[in-house]
Amino acid sequence: MRIETCYFCSSKIYPGHGVNFVRNDCKIFKFCRGKCHKAFKRKKNPRKVGWTKAHRKTAGKELAIDPSFEFEKRRNVPVKYSRETWQKALEAIKKVTEIKQRRQDHFVMERLRKGRDIEIQMDVKNVQRNMSLIRSPAAGLKERRAKEEAEEAALMEEEDLPEEKITYVDARELEKRLEEGMGIEDLEMLEA
Amino acid sequence: MGMVTKRKKMHYGDTHLQRRWRVRNRRRDLDQIDDDLRTRSGELINQNVDLEKPGFAQFYCVHCAKYFIDDTAMQAHFRTKVHKRRLKALEIEPYSIEESERAAGRGSFQQAKKRGMETQPTKEEVIAGKRIKVEEKVETTAAVSTPVASTSSTRATRNRPQKMET
Repeated sequence: MRIETCYFCSSKIYPGHGVNFVRNDCKIFKFCRGKCHKAFKRKKNPRKVGWTKAHRKTAGKELAIDPSFEFEKRRNVPVKYSRETWQKALEAIKKVTEIKQRRQDHFVMERLRKGRDIEIQMDVKNVQRNMSLIRSPAAGLKERRAKEEAEEAALMEEEDLPEEKITYVDARELEKRLEEGMGIEDLEMLEA
Repeated sequence: MGMVTKRKKMHYGDTHLQRRWRVRNRRRDLDQIDDDLRTRSGELINQNVDLEKPGFAQFYCVHCAKYFIDDTAMQAHFRTKVHKRRLKALEIEPYSIEESERAAGRGSFQQAKKRGMETQPTKEEVIAGKRIKVEEKVETTAAVSTPVASTSSTRATRNRPQKMET
């Protein structure tokens, strides 16, 4: 008894299932079901049909190259039965399948992680590009304008400062004071 | 009205296609043609006279596995889309039973290689000793090998702890 693989989709073919097609050059093509047989008759290329293993591996969706794949092989020489090897083989099979499964899962997760990174990058870019939708460019315009005006006013004041102060003094009073005998310098001092 | 209008049939089925897909109408597959190209292209281009075949088997296109009645017909065929499409299809290594097993997990999967593909040489050139060559393209293999190398390096680093566990 042997579990065969389908020519088209590479799935398992258990005894009593599927179809064999023998081409006129003696090559035997085994198919797991009518779907695969029909696709073969239509000369479909399994690498280009999405649901086949060949497609998934060529497209890099699944782990393709790994030493864990080297254990399973078609051996045409039967091994003589011995209880010890049988037990060891059973244990080894369990271990190998476990390791293989872990590696395949790891490969898939790594592949998906890359997509997540790209997604984040795209999100950031999207936000930057459409910032105007989140925060209106007109937001805070009034305050900004008010600030600008205030600054301008401050500038104006600075320009005003160097100009001389003009003080208006009553002429008669000034005369009186001058008569009293105070100099102009003293007057200024008084005011200050 | 009185007038009987005939219902227009829009769907004509796929009987003609089903007939083409029957096993008795099966033509040479791509992997067989690939084998022809690599091993016996000279014999096929320069065949013995066979009165049963079209054109007495003197005008044969190896890529399309087709006989023509004369040289003009064959030259016209080389200029057609059918022929060019076939060349394109043969550029990639054809799918095989071994590959289906590799895809199932018996042995590491190998990416299909790309080859250069040109229309066959003329009969005179074949007699002079020219044959069809199926050679892998160098630049495509280099492009393919770089990602493989990167993945293998990552895998090598990844394998170590697992080996420790076992």
